[in-house]
Amino acid sequence: MLNISQDKSKTTFDYLPFNEKHYSEFKRNNIVRLLLTYLTPLIILAIYFFYQYDKMVSDSQHLHLKAIAENQSNTFDLFITERIVNLTNLINDPGFNFPPTTEDMQIYLERLRQNSQAFTDVGYLDSSGVQIAYTGPFPSLEKQNYSTEAWYIDLKNKDGNFIITDIYLGLRNKPHFTIAIKRIIGKQITILRTSLDPERMYEYITSLEGAQEVSTSIVNHTGHYQLVKSQVGKPLDASSFMPPKTPKLGIENIKIEKSSSTYAYSWLKTADWALIAQRTADENGNLLSGYRLKILSISLALMALISIMVYYRAGRLVEFQKETDRTRAQLEHASKLASVGELAAGIAHEINNPLAIINEEAGLMKDLLSANFGDPPETRELIQYLDSIHESVFRCRDVTRKLLGFVRKTDMDISPHSIHKIIDNVVDGILGKEMEVSNIEMVRQYDNNIPQMQTDANQLQQVLLNILNNAIDALEDNPGKISITTGLVKKKIQIIITDTGMGMTREQIEKIFLPFYSTKEVGKGTGLGLSVSYGIIKNMGGKIEAESTPGKGSSFILTIPLHSKG
Amino acid sequence: MSKKIKLLIVDDEIKFLDSIAKRLELRDFDVTKATNGQEAIEATHNDKFDLALLDLKMPGMNGKEVLEIIKKEHKYLEVIILTGHGSMDSAVECTKLGAFSYLPKPYELEKLIEILQQAYEARLKNKFSMDQARMEKLAKLATGSSALGILRAMREMDDDEK
Repeated sequence: MLNISQDKSKTTFDYLPFNEKHYSEFKRNNIVRLLLTYLTPLIILAIYFFYQYDKMVSDSQHLHLKAIAENQSNTFDLFITERIVNLTNLINDPGFNFPPTTEDMQIYLERLRQNSQAFTDVGYLDSSGVQIAYTGPFPSLEKQNYSTEAWYIDLKNKDGNFIITDIYLGLRNKPHFTIAIKRIIGKQITILRTSLDPERMYEYITSLEGAQEVSTSIVNHTGHYQLVKSQVGKPLDASSFMPPKTPKLGIENIKIEKSSSTYAYSWLKTADWALIAQRTADENGNLLSGYRLKILSISLALMALISIMVYYRAGRLVEFQKETDRTRAQLEHASKLASVGELAAGIAHEINNPLAIINEEAGLMKDLLSANFGDPPETRELIQYLDSIHESVFRCRDVTRKLLGFVRKTDMDISPHSIHKIIDNVVDGILGKEMEVSNIEMVRQYDNNIPQMQTDANQLQQVLLNILNNAIDALEDNPGKISITTGLVKKKIQIIITDTGMGMTREQIEKIFLPFYSTKEVGKGTGLGLSVSYGIIKNMGGKIEAESTPGKGSSFILTIPLHSKG
Repeated sequence: MSKKIKLLIVDDEIKFLDSIAKRLELRDFDVTKATNGQEAIEATHNDKFDLALLDLKMPGMNGKEVLEIIKKEHKYLEVIILTGHGSMDSAVECTKLGAFSYLPKPYELEKLIEILQQAYEARLKNKFSMDQARMEKLAKLATGSSALGILRAMREMDDDEK
């Protein structure tokens, strides 16, 4: 069973040369190509800015953190220095009683606490290291012998006249540290010592500007906390970060398990301690992720916008391409129809005339043989008509044969030949007799540098014969000259055939290569010779051009490659 | 029909020309042959024809040019176009130029003879109505005129006909 569409009104002929699949592929390829073109630079740029921002932000964070650490350590140094100055002033005060009494010490502590609330107690040690006067929260410390304490021995033996101890639990079992000042009276070394409350000091330094953003701690030279936030650790615990001794001020990133922290440190000038300002990755990250989110969202928005535009443009492009294809296919179809029509009309017209002759001759023979019209004819007369019919049939055959030669691309038989031998063959061999009886002077000017050529000699002879026949016809039996000149131009053979005949008008030159165009009398030419020649030379990869001056003559210029195409 | 139809055939294909002429002669036409436009026009100057068969594609003067000249000079000579290069366009064009009919080659002789007969009848009819008009005009002019006046009027009408 045949499948025939029922709805005939829907059957429309579309000239579109490709199916929808081709166009959806075309569209997809275009989208991919356009997206790659537009998005790649954008993505590269986004990534660059992403990391650049990262680096910039972390650089500025580092600088900031370092500044905080430096500021805090300077402040801490200043604080310690002030406390030492307080003590030094006290012990060197002319009103300082030697040895002081506990009452004296109460007065002195008051004076010190006016300077700083960090002073928790104060004691006076005689030359034997016994605290002979004390005031503070631990009265039991009075009469305490410090002569075996490390700091006491250090201070006694060192050149400087003060010492700051590390935090220690000491006799009172509470983290504190001591500042001690020595004064040598005569040969006697007397010492004024005071305990400082680390909490107070910690409050002091963490109240500085910017300190809230970081967690500040102070470690001693072995890396144990002296002052530390209670959430981070306890005094005397080992710190997770041990700052290097040099440089005095620095910054380091340390990763512990999954969280990374940035540590800025600054070694103090007054004690063998380092101040550490720490910021955890979370705090850094929050800031960074803000920037990242901004860049990411801008980039994504741009990409989305570009993608939409690309999609839209690709759609338009496909429509445009379809329209172009359709128009081109339509034009091709139209021109194909036109040339087919031209050919068909040409054949019909060329064949109609001999057919009319056949028709008339046959009819006439029938007339003569029929009883209606007089005597029976002579055989000779009938044979004459039959000959005429035969000839007309051959005329029809010539038209169809040449037409087929024009339409079909006949296979070429290519072998090496000398162009001059081919020309001589045509002029002397084929045209020889015709030339002998005519008044035509044939002049051949050959360029002897032309090498052998690879070509189909028979086809080339046919072309030369067509052109030479036209040239002879153009002379119209008048005396004249036909010249054949050969030459090599850009590795191609050029043959120029010039006659001194009647020439052609512009309109004629425009039409001479069209099939069935002829300026000759009926029966003399089919109008296919030059169009067949044109096809042959074009097949060889060459070209034919014509020039003419009406009344003076015409030139045909053949340009043929040394190696004809197969 | 006592009088033979006088026919001029113009075609550059001599073989065609000879055989068609012979066939029409066998059918009682009085045939004159011309192989090109120039010959055809000269023939119409030398002789009076009833009808003409004209080819279109000829060397030198083409059929259309010949048609135009013949129709200008001989209003009542009916021309039938016979051509192997027939097309709708050229048929319309020739009809506009005054051709009686248009017949593409090859054709059936019976058809051609039918057309020739129609053309001859048309010619007779045209001539007859012309003659009648002439008589009426003459009668009008003749009333109340002298014999000399009637003669002058007849000469004027002869000039008109040309």
